Amino acid sequence: MLLRNKQSSISDASDKSRIPALLKNLGTLNIRPITVRERKLSQVLLLLEDIIKVPLFRCQRCGECILSSTAFICSQNCPKRLRNGPCGGTGEDGSCEVFPDRKCVWFRIYFRSRLLHRVSLLYKINSIHNWNLEKTSAWLNLFRGRIQGTILFLRSDQQRVKDIISDDAARKA
Amino acid sequence: MTLQEKLESNQFVVCGEITPPQSCDGNVIRDKSRHYKGFVDALNITDNQRAMVRLSSISSAKILLDEGIEPIIQMTCRDRNRLAIQSDLLGAAALGIRNVLCLTGDHQTFGDQPEAKGVFDLDSIQLIAAVATMNSGFLLSGSEIKKPPEFLIGAAANPFAEPFEMRLIRLHKKIAAGARFIQTQAVFDLGIFTRWMESVVEMGLHEKAAILPGVMPVRSVKTLLWMREKLPGMRIPAEYFNRMGQARDPEDEGITIAVEMIRALKNIRGVRGIHIMPSQWESVTPTIVKEAGLHIAH
Repeated sequence: MLLRNKQSSISDASDKSRIPALLKNLGTLNIRPITVRERKLSQVLLLLEDIIKVPLFRCQRCGECILSSTAFICSQNCPKRLRNGPCGGTGEDGSCEVFPDRKCVWFRIYFRSRLLHRVSLLYKINSIHNWNLEKTSAWLNLFRGRIQGTILFLRSDQQRVKDIISDDAARKA
Repeated sequence: MTLQEKLESNQFVVCGEITPPQSCDGNVIRDKSRHYKGFVDALNITDNQRAMVRLSSISSAKILLDEGIEPIIQMTCRDRNRLAIQSDLLGAAALGIRNVLCLTGDHQTFGDQPEAKGVFDLDSIQLIAAVATMNSGFLLSGSEIKKPPEFLIGAAANPFAEPFEMRLIRLHKKIAAGARFIQTQAVFDLGIFTRWMESVVEMGLHEKAAILPGVMPVRSVKTLLWMREKLPGMRIPAEYFNRMGQARDPEDEGITIAVEMIRALKNIRGVRGIHIMPSQWESVTPTIVKEAGLHIAH
C-alpha cells in the first residue's frame, strides 16, 4: 500500500530548484512512501517501541518522533497536538486551558529544556505532521529518512541560542 | 494606502476587530463597520471565535471590502485541514483580501459544540510558513501557483502567558516563518508588556515585524471578572478592578483607561501601532481614537 503518491506535480527539475527553503523544511515534499514490506516491519518495531516509549514518555505514536527536540516530553499530549510550542492559553500556574487540572505540555517541555540545556532546540520550526505516519514506527521512519534525526547530546546550548538570535540580526543588517 | 504600505512607511497604524454574527445578515457587519470607518487602518474579522459558528471570516471580509474598509481575515487551524486552508486562502486572495492573521485557534471544547472534531492539521507557525510558501508561488505539495497571492502575514502573540521566554521563542519562530505584523493579547499589565517589548527589541524582532499591542476597552467590572474567568492567558492587575469598581460611570472610566493605555503603549520602543478589541462595544472606537490623539485613517 502506498502511503503517499510519490509522483510530483512539478513539471521539471529546474522548477524544483525554485522551491523556497522554507517549504523544503516543512516536510511536505518528497516523502518516501511506506511499502507493504516496510509496513510489516513497522508493526513489529512499533510493538517494541510502544513498550519503551508509551510508559516512559506517554508516547502518542505519531510516527514522527520529535522527543529529542522537546526535552523528552511527548508534545503530542497537547490537546491541540501542537508541535511548535504552547498556544496562548497557558495559565499563570502553567495549567492547560483545555484541561485545567493538567500542566501545559509545552510548559513542562520548556522548563525541562532549561534543566537539560536544550533550549536552543525549541527555536527549530518542526515540520508539518504527516498523518500517514500515525501508528507507524518512528524508528523505522527515522532509519528510512522520512523524519529528521534525533539529537541526543547537545553542547553549548546558550551559545546556540545566541547564534540563532544574532544570525537573524546579521541577516537583517 | 494599504496596511502593508502604511507599515512599510512606518506609520503608526490602528486596527480594530469585528466579530461576525451568528446569522446570514450581512447588514450586521455593515452596521458594525460604520463605527470603525475613518478611524482604523484595517479591521480584523474573527474566524469562529471561541469555537462558535459565525458568518465566515472571508465572506465578512468581502462585505468590508465593498464598504471600503481594509479587512484582515483571521484564519485558524481548528476547523480546516491543509487542503481547506490553502483553498480558502486562494479564494480570499481572488476576492481581493490582502491581509491574513494566522492563528492556531481556540480549542473546540470552549464553544457550544464541544463534541466537534478539532482539526489542528497545522499549527499557527506552520500556517504562517504555508502562507509564505504560497506567496512565493507554491502550494505545500510543491505545485506551482500560476498567479500567487500576495498576503501580508500577521500573527498573534501573548506576552502574558507563561513561560515568558517560551513566548519570545514562539515569536521568533513566527517571524522566521514569515509573519510581518504581530497583534498581541490585550494589554492590561503594562509592566509585563514593557519587559516583553524590551526583550523583543533586544532580539531585533521589532525591525522585522510590526508589533501592534492589543487594547481592550472594558465597560464594567463584570466584564473584567468574566475575562479573568473565561479567557485563559489573560492577566488583569487588581488596580483595574478597583478603578472600574469605584468609578461613578464605569463606561467613561473604561474609555479613560483605554486611552491612558494607548498613550503609554505609543511611547514604548518598537511599538508600531495598536489593535483595538472592543469586543461587543464597537461604538466606542471613534471616541478612543480621537481622545488618544491618533491619526484618522484615509
